[in-house]
Amino acid sequence: MSTDRDDTDGVARQRPMYTESQVIMTTVKTVIPFVLTYGLFITFHGTGSPGGGFQGGALIASVVLMIAFAFGIESTRQSLANRLVVGLGTVGVLIFAGIALVPMALGGNFLEYTKYYPVLGSALGLKKYEFVKYGMEAVEIGGIAFIVAGVLMGLFFILAAGVTPPAADESAGAAPLDEVTATEDQEDD
Amino acid sequence: MIGASASPLVLQSVGITPFELSLFVFVLITAVLTALFTDVLASIVIFAAYSLGLSIIYTFYHAPDVGLTEAAIGAGITTVFLLLTIAKTSRPTSDDRFDSINWPAVGICTVFVLVVGSTLSAFPAVGDPGSPILTNADVTGYYLQTAYDETGAENAVTAVLAAYRGFDTFGEAIVVFAAGIASLLVLGREVFTT
Repeated sequence: MSTDRDDTDGVARQRPMYTESQVIMTTVKTVIPFVLTYGLFITFHGTGSPGGGFQGGALIASVVLMIAFAFGIESTRQSLANRLVVGLGTVGVLIFAGIALVPMALGGNFLEYTKYYPVLGSALGLKKYEFVKYGMEAVEIGGIAFIVAGVLMGLFFILAAGVTPPAADESAGAAPLDEVTATEDQEDD
Repeated sequence: MIGASASPLVLQSVGITPFELSLFVFVLITAVLTALFTDVLASIVIFAAYSLGLSIIYTFYHAPDVGLTEAAIGAGITTVFLLLTIAKTSRPTSDDRFDSINWPAVGICTVFVLVVGSTLSAFPAVGDPGSPILTNADVTGYYLQTAYDETGAENAVTAVLAAYRGFDTFGEAIVVFAAGIASLLVLGREVFTT
């Protein structure tokens, strides 16, 4: 792990990217459940207390960032599928756009939550203003929190990877041959 | 100021408390030090402290939503991203603790601060019950009075962001999504992880 980057360009002060530390790992293991719970609370309780999807999504993404700092960015990257990161952002945009555009199809305005009332009001047993509340929560949780969490995780890993293409990075490192072929297999599907 | 006590929204006394003053001094010092340090790592750590001070100020002035965002994004995630960036770049070899001061830039900054500062006297004092936002509150008052009845949200900020101004929020969410795609394009990659 200490030979994460060999091209230090003669800069002697360059430290290795990852140093295994018992203190950091134990601290992160202890803190993570609380941060994740707080992030979910901030997201789900955005209409009743300070916070919302943006802040909650950032907290949920920071859980992944902390795991990466404690246990190594490369090993975290390998256990986190690209499908999940991209899916979070894309599904978030689709949910937000879907909730916003359906009222227009029903003859209303963009994000006019009350247009759902004549269609779903009797089926769900909700009052008219409650559609605004639950519509806002759906946008906060399924839209904004998904987008922010996914994009922040993605930005973190892509910044850590840098500009070099992953294939050249793998061959430059001292990774065993079977590991390299395993990651190539994953990229193919 | 007799009418002030009749107002339902009386906040703290007009004027600046020692706590606020120390926070402002802290934020100012950290902001200047961020620009002055030669070592980028030191600059980033001080910049995180600056964001933390700013988030405490926001929370102190009853804007917990903004304070939360500043703490999570400004002090937390931005710091991590900046640290990752300097880990990928080479650091300067100079041993000086402080950068040399660029006097033309200081001059431009001083002029800018003076121009912006000249408008300060037009602002009402913090917590002033006679300020227009409390006495002539067409927009603010409308949201505070009707947001709960119309949306059922106890947090009026969320009601404005997700319902009244939902189109803006949609645009902001798309901007975040576009930033993720732009980072892929700039760094020439096709996947975030493996």
